[in-house]
Amino acid sequence: MSQCVRRRQAARGTRRETGLGTVSEPAGAVEATTAHGDKGRKGLFARIALFVRQVIAELKKVVSPTRSELLTYTAVVLVFVVVVMIFVSALDYLIGLGVFALFG
Amino acid sequence: MLSAFARAFRTPDLRRKLLFTIAIMAIFRVGSFIPTPGVDYPNVRQCIAQAEDGTSLLGLVNVFSGGALLQLSIFALGIMPYITASIIVQLLRVVIPRFEALHKEGQSGQAKLTQYTRYLTIALAILQSTTVITTARQGLLFPGCGLDVIADDSVWTLVLMIITMTAGTGLVMWLGELITERGVGNGMSLLIFTSIAATFPTGLWSVAGGNDGVRNIIIVLLVILVVIGAVVYVEQSQRRIPVQYAKRMVGRRMYGGTSTYIPVKINMAGVIPVIFASSILAIPTLVAQFGDQSAGWVLWISSNLAAQDAPLYVALYALMILFFCFFYTSITFNPDEVADNMKKYGGFIPGIRAGRPTAEYLDYVITRITSAGSLYLVVIALIPTLMVVWLGLANQLPFGGASVLIIVGVGLETVKQIDSQLQQRHYEGFLR
Repeated sequence: MSQCVRRRQAARGTRRETGLGTVSEPAGAVEATTAHGDKGRKGLFARIALFVRQVIAELKKVVSPTRSELLTYTAVVLVFVVVVMIFVSALDYLIGLGVFALFG
Repeated sequence: MLSAFARAFRTPDLRRKLLFTIAIMAIFRVGSFIPTPGVDYPNVRQCIAQAEDGTSLLGLVNVFSGGALLQLSIFALGIMPYITASIIVQLLRVVIPRFEALHKEGQSGQAKLTQYTRYLTIALAILQSTTVITTARQGLLFPGCGLDVIADDSVWTLVLMIITMTAGTGLVMWLGELITERGVGNGMSLLIFTSIAATFPTGLWSVAGGNDGVRNIIIVLLVILVVIGAVVYVEQSQRRIPVQYAKRMVGRRMYGGTSTYIPVKINMAGVIPVIFASSILAIPTLVAQFGDQSAGWVLWISSNLAAQDAPLYVALYALMILFFCFFYTSITFNPDEVADNMKKYGGFIPGIRAGRPTAEYLDYVITRITSAGSLYLVVIALIPTLMVVWLGLANQLPFGGASVLIIVGVGLETVKQIDSQLQQRHYEGFLR
């Protein structure tokens, strides 16, 4: 058992990509390549329509963030931006006073 | 969450990086206030105060320099020449084979390209500072303000001013590179972020004080919130391409046999296409300053390319964002390289053969995902712009659309970078 755990850790060490995701859609790839194959033979509009369909198909496989993740990120970005704005404004005010005293 | 900010400051090396970045930002702001030698500072102040209510053609360029341009300070040009130069060098890679060869060379080639970018920045800075100073001397920087902005008209003073502004641009470029190297975030984006953050509150303030102030400021803040939410949503969404690693025995150990994924962001280019597109569209306006203000082509530029709601401007803006989206993605993500690496380490996408088919498949996915991503970027860049025009706030919030998006995008990128640095130490950052 303990050896098994060690094996898995070793395996983890060789990973190239980040994250712990699992394989979710092995079939999509096949369908995509066949669609790719007969691209050149149709008219322009048919090809555009096919492309749009492919885009939509890819978008369906997108993993979107959860609601709580979305809220935290939004809040953090908001706080960060506001803090930087306050910092820069305060700095500008002080520098403005100094420069005015020197050159004004 | 706030405790995480405090924790970020308690981690020694992260604290050093944050303080370093803040110090550089402060230096950048100080330089934006120091007047260039030869400028009549009290007159400039008076003219700025007068010009605040009027429309200035240079308004949008002024925002990107954080208000430094109209003050004729030593950092008047800001980071813009550097951004323009790096766009040009990257574009030239397509045209000049030598640049492409340098890019493929790896580290040393990249250093050479950076060197070219710096030379080009200085050349652009000379060009732009000459433009700005000529405009100022002719009294066109502040139309309607009769005071003399430049005290002494002699050639040597003007040359001195041009040299000073060019040197200032060089310094800004160095500051930006220092942030990238030793601070947090991307220096170029952070400095433009600082510039916009410096002018934004004043803009918001004048919106609140104008006609229909309360209604407008509520709409503006709501749009900003929506943009933040949308940017966060899209930036966090991923198309995960599954990858499996083959099991193999090396000696007595067993390696691999795991499955992971390649995360493909919908919009891999981030806000860079928007920054690029808006900086390129700012150039004609700058050039128009050279010409006679009543000449036909100057009028054409100011009605078609300087106004944010002009159909031509909107169309060009959208097209450029689309183009730069694909362009930048193709620079940052190389399917052949990724496929090659995967093959080397025994990885494969289920159902796709290793090697060239894998590269083709990755290219297929990325083209489709980026198509959606670039459309999203166009929409999100145009919404605030059109809102600003629709509410009649183009004077108070020049460059409204792009600046909102740049602020949010750079903010998110920087926060994520701080967070990942924090996680290296504490396992949990502020983005739990």
